[in-house]
Amino acid sequence: MPPKVAVKPLPKRGGLLAGVSDNLAALMIGIKYFLNPKRFSIYYPKEYPELRKGYRGFIILNKQKCISCAACARICPSAAMKMIRVPVPHPKEPEKTVMKQFPVINYQRCIFCGYCVDICPTEALYHVNYHDIVYENLAEMFWDLDTFQKEPEYPTAEEGIPVRLMIHEEYGLLKVPAREKQG
Amino acid sequence: MVEDVRIYGGWKDELGLKVVPSKKIGKDLYEVFIGPQHPGSGHMRITVRLDGDIIVEADPDIGYVHRTMEKLGEIRGWIKPIPLFERMAIHDACNITMPYVLAVEKLMGVEPPLRAKYLRSLLCEINRIGAHLYGFAIFGVFLGHSTMYMWAMGDREVFIELAEALTGARLTHSYPLPGGARRDIPADFPDMARRAVNYMRKRLKEYEKIFLNNPVIRSRLEGVGVISKGLAAELGIVGPNARASGIGYDVRIVEPYDAYPELDFEVPVFREGDALARTMVRVEEIKQSLRIIEQAVEWLEKNPREPIVDKYLYGKYPPLHKKIMESEGRAKLLPISAAMKVPKGRAIGRAETGRGETIYYVESDGGVNPYRVRIVTASARNAIAFKYVLPGHKIMDLPAIYGSLDYFPPESDR
Repeated sequence: MPPKVAVKPLPKRGGLLAGVSDNLAALMIGIKYFLNPKRFSIYYPKEYPELRKGYRGFIILNKQKCISCAACARICPSAAMKMIRVPVPHPKEPEKTVMKQFPVINYQRCIFCGYCVDICPTEALYHVNYHDIVYENLAEMFWDLDTFQKEPEYPTAEEGIPVRLMIHEEYGLLKVPAREKQG
Repeated sequence: MVEDVRIYGGWKDELGLKVVPSKKIGKDLYEVFIGPQHPGSGHMRITVRLDGDIIVEADPDIGYVHRTMEKLGEIRGWIKPIPLFERMAIHDACNITMPYVLAVEKLMGVEPPLRAKYLRSLLCEINRIGAHLYGFAIFGVFLGHSTMYMWAMGDREVFIELAEALTGARLTHSYPLPGGARRDIPADFPDMARRAVNYMRKRLKEYEKIFLNNPVIRSRLEGVGVISKGLAAELGIVGPNARASGIGYDVRIVEPYDAYPELDFEVPVFREGDALARTMVRVEEIKQSLRIIEQAVEWLEKNPREPIVDKYLYGKYPPLHKKIMESEGRAKLLPISAAMKVPKGRAIGRAETGRGETIYYVESDGGVNPYRVRIVTASARNAIAFKYVLPGHKIMDLPAIYGSLDYFPPESDR
């Protein structure tokens, strides 16, 4: 059925009684939520929201799969990813080295759009599902090739309890523990 | 100096520098600058001239967040502008990039499969609800109703959570691509969406009680900032603001795109044209968007999964890409899309964003970059309303009118 325009009348309120009842209704709903508040806090970092598997968090390189095509560096909308030339052992003659290109990333610029992950023809790049990491200085956000291959340390996960946000019909969002308690 | 002020064309100050006032200021008028630092005004300034506390003249001064979107769109290929254009209305990200994607699709001659169309419409509606709730929140705090601010911002989080489950990012989804969408729905998404829809329906009834039917709020909105049908048409106002004035204009009806022609929904129109009608249009639109989400989710669940990119593009996919599409439902980009060339031509894309119609004019000279990207957003077309609606009202009605117009400066300034 195609969409259509529907002209509607504005709901009219008027009269002395409506004024009283509307005021009361507004007050009652305020009292309802005052007595039974449907709210919660996430006590970060004691608790932290564990994000879904498909979340576009930090991007990590799997160097073995990389074929140096530079597609990731070319698609990057914010020019966060760059190719660098690195000497690697020659595939047939181990004593020789050849230059090969690998991507490195600057997390000062990255906007986490995930285009690089999607364009990689060999799935050499992947997302981890967190991105709340603090750096002490800006220089640390330039990742060299070694850092780019390791998933960054996630201190929040070591200290905090993972929680998950669930969409609930009654409460909207509900905080539930992400995993079953152990022991 | 007061006498000099009355002269058009400026005067010289003590240092001999020429001072040019934008308008003649009457002798007994106050000139009040609302913004750009005012907490209520956003990144814009309204210069209002007051006679007592009646506004006799209002001058919207826009452009504080101009970021040269159009020029930047010309230098970064065809795919890369999508994350850039999202920054215009970051809580309406899928809607605001939709027309660009539609225009590029016309140029490339690709057509997304039906499943991708449904996915895109689904995210568009999630974004529309998010945008309207954001508007309510700001509107509520304008009127001093901080409960509404908290509630709307809190309930918006539900839909952000939905969008995150679908796309992997809270706000900057970068979801539509020329010829498809980026991800299929996860397995638990339909249940989540249904719970969110049911929750929001209940919630809207409570909004009515505490906000819309609240006598304090109604007395501030009823009959305030009336835009007549004729004036709305003359000024070229679009979106919910036009529909509150009795103009049944919606791009989803006049030029249907994506899955909208197949969905069953109404476009609510009110005749009154005052601040209350503009608010009610948004409430009704949220209800319709909830209906669309239900239908889209049902369709997506019922129909078997298929590739969510254009047939031609899917034909070019290597085996690994096809495998990922089947197993994860993730559409890979072809490496060529980093530097693809689009055939010569011109195309116009139109879409109904949260605040009204947005148009992109995209011209290609056959190169790797767009030759021209012209963007006309909904807020840019609604900004002129301030000049014609505010005069005649008291200064205390300004927040009510500003909030009900739901003007969003970053979208307007581009």
